[in-house]
Amino acid sequence: MGGFFSSIFSSLFGTREMRILILGLDGAGKTTILYRLQVGEVVTTIPTIGFNVETVTYKNLKFQVWDLGGQTSIRPYWRCYYSNTDAVIYVVDSCDRDRIGISKSELVAMLEEEELRKAILVVFANKQDMEQAMTPSEMANSLGLPALKDRKWQIFKTSATKGTGLDEAMEWLVETLKSRQ
Amino acid sequence: MFAKLKKKIAEETAVAQRPGGATRIPRSVSKESVASMGADSGDDFASDGSSSREDLSSQLLRRNEQIRKLEARLSDYAEQVRNLQKIKEKLEIALEKHQDSSMRKFQEQNETFQANRAKMAEGLALALARKDQEWSEKMDQLEKDKRFLTAQLQEMKNQSLNLFQRRDEMDELEGFQQQELSKVKHMLLKKEESLGKMEQELEARTRELSRTQEELMISNQLSADLSQKIEELQRYYSTLEEQRDHVTASKTGAENKITALEQKEQELQAFVQQLSIDLQKATAETQEKEKLITHLQEKVASLEKRLEQNLSGEEHVQELLKEKTLAEQNLEDTRQQLLAARSSQANATDSLETRVKELEQSLQASEEKLKQSSDVVAAQEAQIQELASANKESSCAQQQVLALEQQCTEQIHTLEAQLSALERARADDHAAAERKVRELEQENAGLKESKNECEHSLQHHQLELKKLKEEWSQREIVSVAMAQALEEVRKQREEFQQQAANLIAIGGEKEQSLQEKTEVILQKEQEILQLKKGHDSALLQMRQLQSELEALRSLRAEQSEAADEREDLLRLRSQEQGVVLSISEPHVTSRAGQDPAYQLPAAEGIPNGEMGTAMDLGQLQKEKQDLEQQLLEKNKTIKQMQQRMLELKKTLQKELKIRPDNELFEVREKPGPEMTNMVPSVTNNADLTDAREINFEYLKHVVLKFMSCRESEAFHLIKAVSVLLNFSQEEENMLRETLEYKMSWFGSKPAPKGSIRPSISNPRIPWS
Repeated sequence: MGGFFSSIFSSLFGTREMRILILGLDGAGKTTILYRLQVGEVVTTIPTIGFNVETVTYKNLKFQVWDLGGQTSIRPYWRCYYSNTDAVIYVVDSCDRDRIGISKSELVAMLEEEELRKAILVVFANKQDMEQAMTPSEMANSLGLPALKDRKWQIFKTSATKGTGLDEAMEWLVETLKSRQ
Repeated sequence: MFAKLKKKIAEETAVAQRPGGATRIPRSVSKESVASMGADSGDDFASDGSSSREDLSSQLLRRNEQIRKLEARLSDYAEQVRNLQKIKEKLEIALEKHQDSSMRKFQEQNETFQANRAKMAEGLALALARKDQEWSEKMDQLEKDKRFLTAQLQEMKNQSLNLFQRRDEMDELEGFQQQELSKVKHMLLKKEESLGKMEQELEARTRELSRTQEELMISNQLSADLSQKIEELQRYYSTLEEQRDHVTASKTGAENKITALEQKEQELQAFVQQLSIDLQKATAETQEKEKLITHLQEKVASLEKRLEQNLSGEEHVQELLKEKTLAEQNLEDTRQQLLAARSSQANATDSLETRVKELEQSLQASEEKLKQSSDVVAAQEAQIQELASANKESSCAQQQVLALEQQCTEQIHTLEAQLSALERARADDHAAAERKVRELEQENAGLKESKNECEHSLQHHQLELKKLKEEWSQREIVSVAMAQALEEVRKQREEFQQQAANLIAIGGEKEQSLQEKTEVILQKEQEILQLKKGHDSALLQMRQLQSELEALRSLRAEQSEAADEREDLLRLRSQEQGVVLSISEPHVTSRAGQDPAYQLPAAEGIPNGEMGTAMDLGQLQKEKQDLEQQLLEKNKTIKQMQQRMLELKKTLQKELKIRPDNELFEVREKPGPEMTNMVPSVTNNADLTDAREINFEYLKHVVLKFMSCRESEAFHLIKAVSVLLNFSQEEENMLRETLEYKMSWFGSKPAPKGSIRPSISNPRIPWS
């Protein structure tokens, strides 16, 4: 009964919140990206033990953005959040060449989850403002993105502190989500 | 986990088996109790023996009767025993037969089943292997095709990339050409502009030249005019001098005339005086003649009066009249003569006067003329003077003119020099301009050549472009064809994929069926095992029974021997012991209902072996029944255990989130990714049920957020919370329903179920 009415209401108002997960290794800049998207300014962050969830409105689309902590000890709890996810923003530190392998294996393991089968993947090659940053194509290759089948994915070079690339990525995400509906 | 489960199952089976084992314990107990009872009965006899003798006779009588009855009964019993023995033998035979047949059946079934199983397994294994091979071949082929197609696609992409690069290069070349052309055009335009400027300068200089020439002409004309004026002035001067001479000559003539005229005036005055004298004379004559006329007129009048008074005298009168007319005619003639003289005189005077006047007038005129001529002379003299001054001035002017002419000539020279210089400059300019023009023309020609070259190159490029376009179009066609081929290939691939999927599905189904069959086989094996166990136990029991039977037989034989002896003895003592028997018999019968088999061995002293064997048989049958019941119970317990096992497995699988259907596939089809997963330490899919080291901070944070955040967000946190706090499925569902109730506007609050206490309903490993 309640579900019926709520579905009627949601169809009336037509603003279903899109559920987006921001994942990635610790220190990749997930929390900075979340607050950059929400309030548009750089906040000082501490390592996230747990998660942050914020509602971000972009181009009349409401997103419920979940920024899950990426520390090794709490990475196993990611999959508690996978259900009903529309898109995954996978943030990778472009300068962290040592842990790109770990990042790749985490990504691959995550994408094999059944609950994320229909989720769109957006990879943020973050910290592009640094000098020794890898190029997006390099990162896509080292993350094994070209091998992905049956998945809509795109890589963007971003800098959360400078605020570059986020708009393009969100633009693409919005368009892809709209076209998928 | 499994070990624990197994242990549990083992324990439970042990518990289930215990009732079977326990059946013997009551037996032993019954033995003891029977023994004790027998002892009691012995005591009874003893006490009976020691009791009063008065009753003995009656008792004996009763006992005798009882003994008789008992003997009858005994005989009946013996018969019954014999019958029962027969029946027992029959039953034994039947049992043996049954056992044999069952054994045979078991063996046959077992053999057939094993054969069937082996066949089925082999067939299935073969079919599976075949299908595996086929599928692997197909997969290989598909992969090969895929590789081939991907390679083709890559090539196509490369080709298209090359094409695009060439197109870009072409565009760049065109751009460069256009730029060069525009540069050349720009240079041309600049040169043309400079040429135009030079021409304009030239025109300006020529204009200046013409202007200077015009000025020269004007100055020449001016000098010519001035010389003409000078000539005119000289001419005027000469004429003026002539006029002067003439005027002086006329002056002298006029003076002469004046003197002559003065003479004539004098003469005329003298003549006028004569004439005036004549006139006075004429007037005097006229006066006389008038007096005469008047006299005559008086005479005429007197004659007329006389005529009028003397008519008669007509002839006289006529003569008179005639005379009168003659007189009058005379008179008139004289008068006319007078008048004529007078008029001639007047005319003469008039003419004279007019002549005088005319003379005076002429004099005056001549005087005036003189005056005029003197004036003229004066004027002419003034003029002459003026002319002289003018002459001087003219000479000055001529000098000036000369100077001017010199200046002019100088100017002209200078102008000519300038002109020549200008002309030279112009010529130079012209030459330079011509040179420039030539250069420009050369440049132009060069540019035109370069332009032509460019155009050639352009044409060449255009040709190349066309060629490239043609190539491109061809390649596009080719690419389209390739794309079509690709699409076809893709379709084929999809079909292949679909076929593969179908095959995989079929394989899955077959595997499922196989699994099911293996499960069935397992079950059957288990059943077989159980049956074997049952069989073994049955055999054991049979053996026991046989041994017991043998023992019983031996016992019976002994007992029968003993019984024979005792019968003899009994027959001897029957009368004595009849009472005892009569007492013990009901006991025996009463006890026989409870534990007939083990009562007899206890009552060894009692010589009723026949009855014991019968009881043994019954006991055997009961034992058999018991064993069968035990078997059934065990089967039931085994079934229950299996059900429990299945349930446990299901719950385990649910908990472990492993789909039993996909398990095999996942293991077999995804060896690669799992291998890759294993190499670096992937943590996001690590088993959370084992990892009990929960970050307390994390738990705290999640629970805090769960309690504080919005319901729509909390809904997504249920899973995390339930994983962290180790909730069971039911608890998680309860939480979910509660949240849904909170979120929805309607609906009823979900009733808390009895299984909320997790420690009781579902014992789990604590997470600390």
